[in-house]
Amino acid sequence: MNVSVADMQKLIAGELSLRSRVAYTALLLVALGVAVVVGSLLLTEPSLPQRTEVAFAVIIAIALSWVAYASWVLTRRQVLFAGHRIVAGRMAVAFSALFVAGCLAVRMMAAAGLGALMLAIAIGILITARQRFRALMERRRALEAM
Amino acid sequence: MNRTDDELLAIRCQLGEPAAFDDLIARWHEPLWRYLRKLTGDDDTAAESIQDVWLKVLRAIPKLRDAARLRAWMFSIARRVVMDRLREKYATPPSVSADDVDLEDVPQELEDELEVMREELERLPVIDREALVLFYLKELTLLEMTEVLGVPVGTVKSRLFRARKTLRTQLERKGVNR
Repeated sequence: MNVSVADMQKLIAGELSLRSRVAYTALLLVALGVAVVVGSLLLTEPSLPQRTEVAFAVIIAIALSWVAYASWVLTRRQVLFAGHRIVAGRMAVAFSALFVAGCLAVRMMAAAGLGALMLAIAIGILITARQRFRALMERRRALEAM
Repeated sequence: MNRTDDELLAIRCQLGEPAAFDDLIARWHEPLWRYLRKLTGDDDTAAESIQDVWLKVLRAIPKLRDAARLRAWMFSIARRVVMDRLREKYATPPSVSADDVDLEDVPQELEDELEVMREELERLPVIDREALVLFYLKELTLLEMTEVLGVPVGTVKSRLFRARKTLRTQLERKGVNR
């Protein structure tokens, strides 16, 4: 039994889908947003019925499970390459900025604060991704010029 | 293709260029396949392993810090995959086969001696056999071998020295004195 080059190229091509990476990044961001909003409600609303508190805790647990799953997929299975990291970073910045604006509009200040933290982290991720991409491109050009 | 080309290929993969993975596979599939075949000693295990190797390469290449080390890095992944698979399946050390030594373009009068060499290579302890395969058949440098085998350069040298000495002794007993 032998495994051909074409077999392996087909296998790897199926693993390189940008669409699924974008989908998992979106899942991660939305789940994180849900966890932050519901978590801030749970922490800041003073007189929630006990059943509502339990329901919120369950929602947070589910959202954090999705965050963990999407993070695992993006770091172990559908890994992000340098170009994908820029796309993911931009998505994170856009989502976090929208999130902060939405929280401010409805005066959810605790959630807005956490959103601002998410935005700062997203900007950091985007800057790191751009630096890495630029460094790889510079090395690529140098090698191509040899 | 030289090591600069390999580094360029690794960087294109790290950037996420789909065509780069096709080129990487076109360039390295056969050498990795032959290496796996030698380590496992059978086609089925090698075939199962090669798929794992490529998936691991795909998933780990963004974290490869020094793209110039591509070759040693891929062989170390291949070795780890085979060791894990053999450990799971048989809980015994792997068998390195020398069946795949290419006899094309070899003068007729050398074939008998090469056949003896294959047989004697098979009789070496697996650690010594592996060292000879990586150094002479895969043409890895000593530094690359330290990465693949996970041992210091002194140990690589001593394994090579011991393996060469043992093989030479065995060959002399069989009347091969080249």
